[in-house]
Amino acid sequence: MAAETIATLGPFRVGIEPDKAAAFSAETGCSGQGAPLCYPAVWLAEPSVRTTIADYCAARDAVPVHESQTFEFDNILQVGKNYDLTVAFAEEAEPPRLILTATVATPCGKRAAHIETVMRIVPRSKLGAAA
Amino acid sequence: MSDDSVPAPGDKLPPMVIGPFDADALARYAGVSGDDNPLHLDDALAQAIGLAAPPVHGMKLLAYFEAYLAAWRPDLTIVRLGGKFVQPILRGEPATLTGRVVRASREEGVFLRLFAQGSARVPAIIGEARLRFPQAPAE
Repeated sequence: MAAETIATLGPFRVGIEPDKAAAFSAETGCSGQGAPLCYPAVWLAEPSVRTTIADYCAARDAVPVHESQTFEFDNILQVGKNYDLTVAFAEEAEPPRLILTATVATPCGKRAAHIETVMRIVPRSKLGAAA
Repeated sequence: MSDDSVPAPGDKLPPMVIGPFDADALARYAGVSGDDNPLHLDDALAQAIGLAAPPVHGMKLLAYFEAYLAAWRPDLTIVRLGGKFVQPILRGEPATLTGRVVRASREEGVFLRLFAQGSARVPAIIGEARLRFPQAPAE
């Protein structure tokens, strides 16, 4: 079943600050010599993204369960650089899923990365069964 | 493997054990990632959904594959990394990362199937990655 886009956020400016990249590296076993590949996960915790997910789930009395995650890079992200992030939210009905598709672009508009986050939307009443 | 050879389909990467991660490690990851989902931090909440302990963040585990792949072939550049979170790995439980080459060529790069496995028989993460060979400088 094709996912239906229900909302889009951005583009908004994000960055990879050296100290935050180093802290992320330290907690994920990375060398700390560059931007951790999975660092864009930090951007998906931005308040506007989180609020969209929270509102979507609250309307369904459900919780999101992270099902899969993909990062694909046209150009490796650089510590100290800024990027523009656009996030599209799409839903699938059966089983219920919320799919975030994020595009990371350089300030001059060149695509640098593509991110997909898939979340199962689990009704609170079925939480025990989902475990 | 330390040369710039093209690996063969079926080649296996040496396993790497990570963790176990304690409550402090999960709290630190929550802090640096912004993923402060209480499920990863709250014993009572984890038990309420049938888990013996809070699960390690799937993203934290997936991110470890970067170091795993870099240790195997530091000459290659990771251009794709993804994973499906199949089974939780719980706080206090070590995880073993493994991988094998699916296909490879100097032009397309190296395509890998990846696994993270805890104590359960089924993998916790079934992942994939694509690594690119260094590009020759333009003439």
